Amino acid sequence: MERAGLDSAAGDEAARALARREQARAICEADPDATFENVWHALILLEEAPVDRLNRSLIRGRATAVQR
Amino acid sequence: MDAPLPFSDREIAFLDALVAEGVDFLVVGLAAAALQGAPAVTQDVDLWFRDLADPALRRALGRTGASYLPPTDSTPPLFAGAGTELFDIVVHMHGLDAFASEAGRAVRIRVGPVEVPVLPLDRIIASKRATGRPKDLSILPALEDTLRARRRTPGV
Repeated sequence: MERAGLDSAAGDEAARALARREQARAICEADPDATFENVWHALILLEEAPVDRLNRSLIRGRATAVQR
Repeated sequence: MDAPLPFSDREIAFLDALVAEGVDFLVVGLAAAALQGAPAVTQDVDLWFRDLADPALRRALGRTGASYLPPTDSTPPLFAGAGTELFDIVVHMHGLDAFASEAGRAVRIRVGPVEVPVLPLDRIIASKRATGRPKDLSILPALEDTLRARRRTPGV
């Protein structure tokens, strides 16, 4: 049963990714100036809460600063 | 154990104090862009204030035990103390209208329990474009693509 639950969750995530990919593709098709990777990542972030988006940005900013 | 999040209760408490005291401010810069979904990296949260001499700002700082360090010949204005380390003070935004006009266009975004006024993504883009600095121009494609994604995503 647990295995079935995991498969179901993975299936849901895959379905969301496919829908997101199609949305990103459509946006890029409608606007040749758009870059698929940027749109794809923006769509992922738009599924998160704003404070989580901000924390992602700050964590990566700190990591970048440490690497300099 | 996970590291503590950079933007957590102390930082939210400071924003809450600003809102509760009625301080006129906007979240701007790449933190504002990140709040709106941009895949942008930043080290700080820029806050644009209408008037740094506003007594409401002093009251908000007092609520959180923080303080204001005025600018000197060689240093910008700064906040010091609990929960303010991440915040940078902005007194001028390139390529934008006066604070009141931009504040009228602000979007309100919930950050934890508090709703804060945020410069809209199209105005962030206008400001980045106006500075003309390479580091600002280099992020424009990601910001513009985020705007495209937002316009095609219902409910964001």
